[in-house]
Amino acid sequence: MSQITEKVAALEEEATSRIQAASKKEELNELFAKYLSKKGEVSSLMSLMREVPNEEKASFGQAVNACKNNVTKAYNEKKEAFEKEELAAKLANEKIDVTLPGNTLQQGHINPYYLIIDEVTDIFLDMGYEVVEGRDVETDRFNFELLNVPKDHPSRDMQDTFYISEELLLRTQTSAAQAHTMCDKNPKGPIKMICPGKAYRRDDDDMTHSHQFAQIEGLVIDKNISIANLKATLELFAKKMFGEKREIRLRSSYFPFTEPSVEVDVSCFNCGGKGCAMCKGTGWIEILGAGMVNPKVLEMCGYDPNEYSGFAFGVGVERVAMLRYGVDDIRRFYQNDVRFLKDYVGK
Amino acid sequence: MKASLNWVKKYVDIENLTPEEIASRMTFAGVEVEDIIHLARGTNLVIGEILTCENHPDSDHLHILNVDEGPKHGVHQIVCGAPNARKGLKVIVAREGAVLPEVTIVKSTIRGVDSDGMCCSLLELGVDKKYLSEKQVSGIEELPEDAPVGEENVLGYLGLDDTILDLSLLANRPDMYAIANIAREIGCLYGKEAKIPEPTKRETKKIDFEVGSTTEKCPQFAIQVVKGIKTKESPKWMKEALLAEGIRSINNIVDIGNYIMLLTGQPLNMYDLDKLPKASLVVRDDLEGDYVAMDEQTYKLAKGDLVVTSDGRPMCLAGVMTAKECTIDENTVNVAVESAVFDYARIRHTVNRIGLSSDSSLRFIKGINRDQAEYVLALTADLLADLAEAKEIYEVKNYDTVKHERKVIKTSLGYINGRLGTSFDLETVVKTLKDDHMDVVVEGETMIVTVPNYRIDMDGQADIAEEVIRILGYSNVHSILPTTELQLTGLTPKQVAKRSIRRHLRSIGLDEVLTYTLVDEKKANSFKYLEKGEPFKLSNPMTVERGFVRMSMLPSLLESASYNVDRQNKDLAFFEISDIDTPSHRGSHLGAVLVGNKPLQGSLRKTPYTFYDAKGIVEAIMQILGLNKNRYQIVAWTLGGEDFHPGKSAEIRMGKQLLGVMGELHPNALKAAGLKSAIALELDMDALLNLKTSAPKASVPPKFPSVSRDLALVIDRKVTYEEIAREVNKADALIKGVEVFDVYEGANIGEGKKSIAITLTIRSDEKTLKEEEVSSSVNKAISTLKVKFGADIRS
Repeated sequence: MSQITEKVAALEEEATSRIQAASKKEELNELFAKYLSKKGEVSSLMSLMREVPNEEKASFGQAVNACKNNVTKAYNEKKEAFEKEELAAKLANEKIDVTLPGNTLQQGHINPYYLIIDEVTDIFLDMGYEVVEGRDVETDRFNFELLNVPKDHPSRDMQDTFYISEELLLRTQTSAAQAHTMCDKNPKGPIKMICPGKAYRRDDDDMTHSHQFAQIEGLVIDKNISIANLKATLELFAKKMFGEKREIRLRSSYFPFTEPSVEVDVSCFNCGGKGCAMCKGTGWIEILGAGMVNPKVLEMCGYDPNEYSGFAFGVGVERVAMLRYGVDDIRRFYQNDVRFLKDYVGK
Repeated sequence: MKASLNWVKKYVDIENLTPEEIASRMTFAGVEVEDIIHLARGTNLVIGEILTCENHPDSDHLHILNVDEGPKHGVHQIVCGAPNARKGLKVIVAREGAVLPEVTIVKSTIRGVDSDGMCCSLLELGVDKKYLSEKQVSGIEELPEDAPVGEENVLGYLGLDDTILDLSLLANRPDMYAIANIAREIGCLYGKEAKIPEPTKRETKKIDFEVGSTTEKCPQFAIQVVKGIKTKESPKWMKEALLAEGIRSINNIVDIGNYIMLLTGQPLNMYDLDKLPKASLVVRDDLEGDYVAMDEQTYKLAKGDLVVTSDGRPMCLAGVMTAKECTIDENTVNVAVESAVFDYARIRHTVNRIGLSSDSSLRFIKGINRDQAEYVLALTADLLADLAEAKEIYEVKNYDTVKHERKVIKTSLGYINGRLGTSFDLETVVKTLKDDHMDVVVEGETMIVTVPNYRIDMDGQADIAEEVIRILGYSNVHSILPTTELQLTGLTPKQVAKRSIRRHLRSIGLDEVLTYTLVDEKKANSFKYLEKGEPFKLSNPMTVERGFVRMSMLPSLLESASYNVDRQNKDLAFFEISDIDTPSHRGSHLGAVLVGNKPLQGSLRKTPYTFYDAKGIVEAIMQILGLNKNRYQIVAWTLGGEDFHPGKSAEIRMGKQLLGVMGELHPNALKAAGLKSAIALELDMDALLNLKTSAPKASVPPKFPSVSRDLALVIDRKVTYEEIAREVNKADALIKGVEVFDVYEGANIGEGKKSIAITLTIRSDEKTLKEEEVSSSVNKAISTLKVKFGADIRS
């Protein structure tokens, strides 16, 4: 190898190693100027061609080109590395605090009272029931008399009523909707309805009593309805509402508007029936009252009790909500403390 | 009603049944046992005698006793702290291993002295304090001198081995207010015969005594005169029976009256015969004036009150309380015993009016057996003879208009199984009804059931079906879903709309709350815009705060807001949909209140709620209901009042019809609600849901491009955006839309002026517009604004 070719190799060696060793972008720029700019040392190599003997010109030219390519490549690689570093530093610098609150797009909350009403309503809608709207101010006739509670009947002691006048009162039970539905049905025929609504009794408000509360009334009227139909319906309801494994049991009871009347217990959804604090060790929780519509009620509401029969039931909304969510005090439903509401989101 | 099982045991065999079993069986059969009460409890008890009593060397109050516990157990040393412990006293000893309600007894060493057992008070055996004297509570029980040392059945000896079932009775079983009927019920549930006491048949003497009633509210009035009685202490068995029922023993005569009432359910009354003005007792309901009862209080009689009179004077407020002047006392020797039937409603009215009630009035009000006067009086006579040495027992004088026929109900096996959804056979049903003390005759398909006289609740075949299933149990009922004809059901369109609105309001961050319907008078009369007239007023409210039915949702929603603000929950967005009932209209409203700030980014960025939040909510609701903006108007406040800020509130209208109100609260309303700021809105949901809407007609997007041009104008601040938009829209047919993008008021704009910036959308449906066509449209808009409003155009 001629002396001059060795010089090219030496320059290539020097330039690439210095470029690779550059620690700052400015240094790299300086090295670019030194070697690769128009008048730089590498670019200037071709000017030595004159001094090269003719037979070596070709190989010298190749060597110079290779040198230029290699140094340029080293420069480009280094430049890219610097840019990458720079971008990473810039992005790192832009880091935000992801733990700050998100923009407020969350749902508002729902009083759990409505969760129960909506859920029970949906279950019975799926079973083909219609939803009837009730009313707060009722007549004595629909709240009592048509439900087989004539004036002075001993069972009127069972409920202390808010009266507006002799004839008008705040309904004490959603059962008033039964009487309305039956009386309004024309011509008389089958009924499958539920009526969620408010009811009122003269109770002092405390942890377990409220002068206002809600019930969901249900009524089915048809030919040949029996307790077997009531039992199957409520079994289905209990399983949907409280879990597939739930069972129900019926206990004899009394309501003036049903005969026979029952209290319905569901196997405890907290302990599965083994006995716990929620079911007071019994394994069962009372959830609703029900019964076969009293033939007298059917008759007063225009149905022939020899042709039609039916069943009715009533669920206490707050009671179910208290059991399901472990609410300690019925007044919470009416206080709407947002620290209480915050746990409930609607569907 | 309390049922003493020791008493019940006299009439029906329950030896092999635990109280818990009986309670559960009765509860499932519809007679709920609320509680099982043991009068006293304790094992390993024995009666002992204190042989020696010395002071404990290391204590100022403890004694060291040597107690003889009889030949079987011998003598034991017991350390005892009771002040009344003394030599010779007969005591109750709880021996080692005894389990008492609160403790288990173990051998121990008390301050260096061995103690083997404990001398007990009745309190330590679990007897309720209310039955004990001061002395019994503070020391050990002192047994009589003749108490048998070594006796292990201590509770039996004391008459405290009883268990009480506390019954929570429903209105259909007034017969359960009688021990005899409870025994019959238990007998029925276990298929056992109940042997209820029968009175002695005796010869009675004739007597001249007038009985009667001048009112149909007393259909039966029977009197039996008994002479030569002696008042004394009742025997132990009777005292124990009454104690178990929670009644204090007074003397044999009073106790007999209570005992018979508890046994039969028939309230008795006893008059001192010698204090009656005349040998006559007549029931009337037309007396008025003062009445001095045996409690020495004076009550006012009112027309309609049933009163037992003698010679026109009130001797007893029927079923409630005897007059002072004829009450029996320890000197009474001759009595007139009354067994009567009084109308339940009438007694209830009297009791409610004068505020007096008793075990007797309770039974009359619940309803009594109308068919047992002779039986009850004969049982009473027996007891007066046995326990009060009665010398002469006279015939029963009976005014009686009651039809003494037992009720007969016709039914069939088919009906019973059909109603119950069961498949009982005839034999099972007949046996069950017979166990239930009914007489049953089967004639072909028909079952003729005769009901016992005390079951006054039975009156149709549905009741018979109920008897069968409550006794045999609901586990016999099959489970069959009803099969009804298919009908089109599901939520109505209105119900669907309500749900959509509720869901939407929650999804934009409002909480769905629940508030009380009842409010005070002032609140009931505030925010009365959507409803007219006066609110419903309760005639018997519990408190003044809850005396009226609300006519607007807002007062109760503000109540909930204020409750929260008082608890430092300051940012609130509440809504509720509820029925609103007024004397003139029955409807349904949606109410919402916004208090404090709307969170934009949690707690980091917030912005105060304004009128425009309420307006946005209203517009969203209208959109969900399918009501386009041209269907309703939101106009500035004209309704007056001091509920809403007159300048920052609006009415939602459809022509003359008011559909809703919204805005900032008036400072006075804020003050009343205890809030610093609040936005409220209320909509007449019924009116909105009743508006007809049609399915949308598809829009075709325009073929040709539109051009936007911005205009900034300075204009009188009273001119509304809507007025500007309306005029600009009318200025040229090519102007297809106006949008506001800036509003500014400030000193540099000038007094009474505002700057408003709008974007015009200009478009033709026929072609792409040229620049000069666009400019011409804009110029028309500018000149309209100048002419109509004197606007100064800035761009």
